Amino acid sequence: MFSHKKILRSIPDMVWGHLRKAGITIFVILWCGLFHYVSLRHFYLEPLMGRPLPQPKFLFPPAGWIMFFHVGNGFSHLEILGMHQGRSYRIEPHAILPTRYLGFDNVHRGVLGSAADPQHQRPFCRYLRRKFPEYDDFLITAVSYPPVREPLTDRRWAVLYQCRVFDP
Amino acid sequence: MRKIWHQLFLMERPSIGLAFFRIFVALGVGAHLIPAFFHLPDTFFVTAFKTYNTQFFPIWFIEWVQQSPDGLVLVLVWVFLISWMMFLLGWFTQISGWVMMGCCYYFYALNTFALAESLAWDILLVTLFLMICTPYPGDYFSIDCLRRQDQMAYRRQRPFFIQRLLQMQIGFVYFYTALYKVTAEGNWITDNPIYYLLNYPHEGVTKYFMLRDFMAARPEWCYALGIFIVVMEMAMIFLLFIPRTRVSGIYWGVIFHIMLMLTLDVPAIFFFVFPPQLLLFINPEHIAGWIDQKRHFYERLPDSMTYRLVYDGRCHFCRQSVARLAVMDLLGRLRFIDYHGVQDPQALHPLLTTQKVRSQIHLLDPQGRLNGGFFAFRRLGLILPMMMPWLPVLYFPGMGVVGPVVYQWVAKNRYIWHRHQVCRDNMCFYGKGS
Repeated sequence: MFSHKKILRSIPDMVWGHLRKAGITIFVILWCGLFHYVSLRHFYLEPLMGRPLPQPKFLFPPAGWIMFFHVGNGFSHLEILGMHQGRSYRIEPHAILPTRYLGFDNVHRGVLGSAADPQHQRPFCRYLRRKFPEYDDFLITAVSYPPVREPLTDRRWAVLYQCRVFDP
Repeated sequence: MRKIWHQLFLMERPSIGLAFFRIFVALGVGAHLIPAFFHLPDTFFVTAFKTYNTQFFPIWFIEWVQQSPDGLVLVLVWVFLISWMMFLLGWFTQISGWVMMGCCYYFYALNTFALAESLAWDILLVTLFLMICTPYPGDYFSIDCLRRQDQMAYRRQRPFFIQRLLQMQIGFVYFYTALYKVTAEGNWITDNPIYYLLNYPHEGVTKYFMLRDFMAARPEWCYALGIFIVVMEMAMIFLLFIPRTRVSGIYWGVIFHIMLMLTLDVPAIFFFVFPPQLLLFINPEHIAGWIDQKRHFYERLPDSMTYRLVYDGRCHFCRQSVARLAVMDLLGRLRFIDYHGVQDPQALHPLLTTQKVRSQIHLLDPQGRLNGGFFAFRRLGLILPMMMPWLPVLYFPGMGVVGPVVYQWVAKNRYIWHRHQVCRDNMCFYGKGS
């Protein structure tokens, strides 16, 4: 009776070599094809085809390698205000996002901006209520700076939403 | 055509470059994920504020992951930490890599927000996937190579395709990044992004660095710099793949990433992964050739000009340790001397006696200095590349007191480590099992 190891050993090295090379070749072709498809899909292939194309899940950035590809004139960020007895207090953003990373600051990378998304507003308010129970309510405001060359002091505040509206 | 394909992907070359890169991939993954574990209620527990990357994950997967109770999250934090440490140290490298990557996917699906909604994380996963497809990254700088006790592990020949794909990945990432900047929705030709970045307020992504204000007042210079960056990013793939310009490409790339880290709040991958990934362009045959040259040089030196390690050759534990040290001795700087083969240890050094050499290892350096026990071990940390990461531990304040105590305990009980009872009695070399 042959064990599977003996069967595998009985296959000549040359056959193994060919199988391995074929395997590597298929992998390389698939990988390269997928890599360039994903890199070109969003900005080039979809406009060319005039329809959305399938996006492979679980690997590769969905929109390609878009590091700093578009930097706008003007800047805005979110400021969170805690309300207590009718008065508002600015909450330090690093207290909202306490995780400190090596070499970079997520608050400066603008990740808090996710809270502006309408579908994230309710969970964000829930998070704020848990994290800062000393406040009665929260105001989520957007601070917009004017375009470059104008004085930075001309900031504009706009209230995006108030957490109270999500109270049961 | 077949020949070119063979040369590009199938040809076997030493995997030492991949093994070195593995360490940095592990550090990049750790730097990205581990800080989030210090604030679990704010990052991954049910109480956290969460966002989901529905473009990267199918909805069913996100919903499935969201069912995790906090207890499971905690368990997977520990699974990640253990597998991450194993991958970093190269212990069951491929398996630990798969487990670690599974955890990376899990935490990414659990809360994209906690991972800074970052493109960098996507890039890291792509890189990690290539790193765990094969066991090659565990060939050297790893516990796996120590377990195999293969002294030529640094020369282990492997098909080159993984390293080539990683080279292509970084080259094309530069290329596509530049392409998006000047086409698609990019505004680096039509506008002045560097100028905007430098004039962003304090809350923005730009750090305060020495020449920031100087540059911020000069829009023409900023525009020129922006064009220069785009041109360099486009040219990188050619610079890196043309042998004559390769070294310049690597230098440019490393300088570029250091500048990014100094001027912008960019994720850790720009520091941990991209610069070492550029080093993958160095031909591993050249690295192995350089190592061989060094080994031949040290081989030809007379005994008195080398580091000599005196050990107990009748102790299984010591012989195993010496075999592992020989694997770690990449440049072949050590000579191993079994004291049982030396008639008079004082011939090696006036302070060496039979009793001393029996009690602990000794390291004789080319200057004639003698270090024993823990201090010999600590000195090895300066000689053996694979031990260098442990230098901060070996030289940590207080280790001069604690280290010798621990060493003495291990040395006294070294026969305990023998697998067979006969050896435990130190009879291996006298009994018939010898």
